[in-house]
Order: sequence, then structure tokens, then C-alpha cells
Amino acid sequence: METILSPTMQVATNVFINNLMASEVFVRYHQSQTLLDHDSQAQALLNQLSQTQTELRKKQTDNSLSKDEIESLRALQVQARVNVVIQGYSDAQQDVIEFLREINEEINQLLGIDFASFTKRSGCC
Amino acid sequence: MNDQVNEDIEIASTSIVKQSARDFAAALAETPQFKAFEQAAYAFRNDQTAQQAMQALQQKQQSLRPLMQLNALSNIQRGELMELQSSFTSQTVVQEYFSAQAELTTLCQVLGDELSGAIGLNYAAACAASCCG
Repeated sequence: METILSPTMQVATNVFINNLMASEVFVRYHQSQTLLDHDSQAQALLNQLSQTQTELRKKQTDNSLSKDEIESLRALQVQARVNVVIQGYSDAQQDVIEFLREINEEINQLLGIDFASFTKRSGCC
Repeated sequence: MNDQVNEDIEIASTSIVKQSARDFAAALAETPQFKAFEQAAYAFRNDQTAQQAMQALQQKQQSLRPLMQLNALSNIQRGELMELQSSFTSQTVVQEYFSAQAELTTLCQVLGDELSGAIGLNYAAACAASCCG
């Protein structure tokens, strides 16, 4: 059966979401996301990193992973870490997560339950 | 360019966000699902028989955990565990608590989906201390 939110609950949810989205940390997060989305160099680096990780994971399962391949993965990881756009996005995301935890704590204090745990769908994370 | 964007956007202060979070929590606290959960939790906490049944089950689970992890329970041990589980979950106060918890979880999941959809992040995962924590 579909759960329908009461008008009061819906309004409170909308106001909460709107304010959350308008907070400084979220504005910065979305700006850094837009920058990342439009930076072809950063995108190429992330794609290459993702592909390499997938390939090496397969090789690790087959026990055919070489030292050079591990080194090439490390080099890509270093490149990603020093990329200003990727790092900016990563930092902004971390700030958002910390802010969400702080806000969730505010909700928990009033309700006496861990609200975030109750929102969890079954399955790992 | 970013500064220009910031000038065009109205920023909500942390205190405003926290106030709207508290208003959101207050609205949730007024829902029938939350009130039913609170009542059921109170009844469960204050029911001595249910609490004793829960403790007995937990103690047995704790003592058998190493064997359970190895999937090495004997039939007798499995039977004892099932009996304790059954005597715990067959109590009305326990069933009402689990039912109220499930109803509240369904409502919170809907709210969590709205939040996650809007912010572009999984709310539960973001707030968790670590994976599955």
C-alpha cells in the first residue's frame, strides 16, 4: 500500500528540503558538481581510473596482477587527488555529508530515534 | 564566476536549516505512525514478561554466537533457540511493537526517498557512520 504524506508532513518536508538545498554547503556542493561535470580533463581522468580499477580487480581475482599495473593505478589515484576540480568536488561532498549528519542529529534529538536508520531500505547501505 | 552565482542565490543560514529540520521532526512526531510507535515502544519497555523473554533470547544468542557463525548448532541448541524466539515474538506487546516499527519505517523510507531524490545523495548512507554501521 502506498504511503501518502499528510499535507502538514508534505509542507514540512518541502520547506526542509528547500532550506537544505539553499544552505551554503549544498550550494557549494552543486557548484563543484557542475564544474566537475563540465571539466573534460577531470572526467577523462575519472573514467580512466574507474576502468583501470575494474580491470585490475578482475586481474586480482585471476591472480594475474603485476606490480607495474598496481603502480599505474597508484599514479592515476595521485593524479585524481591533485586535480583541483576533482578534489574540490570531493571536499564539498565531504562537507555535505558532515552537514547532513549534524542536521540528522537535530531531528534525532527531537524524535528520540535515529531518523536516518529508519529511512534505510533493506540491503547493504 | 562562483561568486557571481553566490550573489544570485539566496543562502539559507545553518540556523534556518536546523529550524526547518526541527519543524520537519515535529511534523513527523505528530503522525499516527510515530505516535503508535511511541505507544508501542513504551508498552514494550514496561512489559516485564516481554523484557525477560527478550533477555533470555539475547543471552542464548550470545552464548551460541560462535557456533551459529560456524553453522554448527546441534538440533537441541537450534530447538532451544527457536523456542525462546517463539516465546518472545508470540507476545502481543512484541508483535504490536514490531508492527508499529514497520509502519513507522515505511513512512520514514518515503520521507528518506524524497530527501535523497532532492539532494542527490542517499540520506541514510550519508548519515551512517560507516557502511552498514
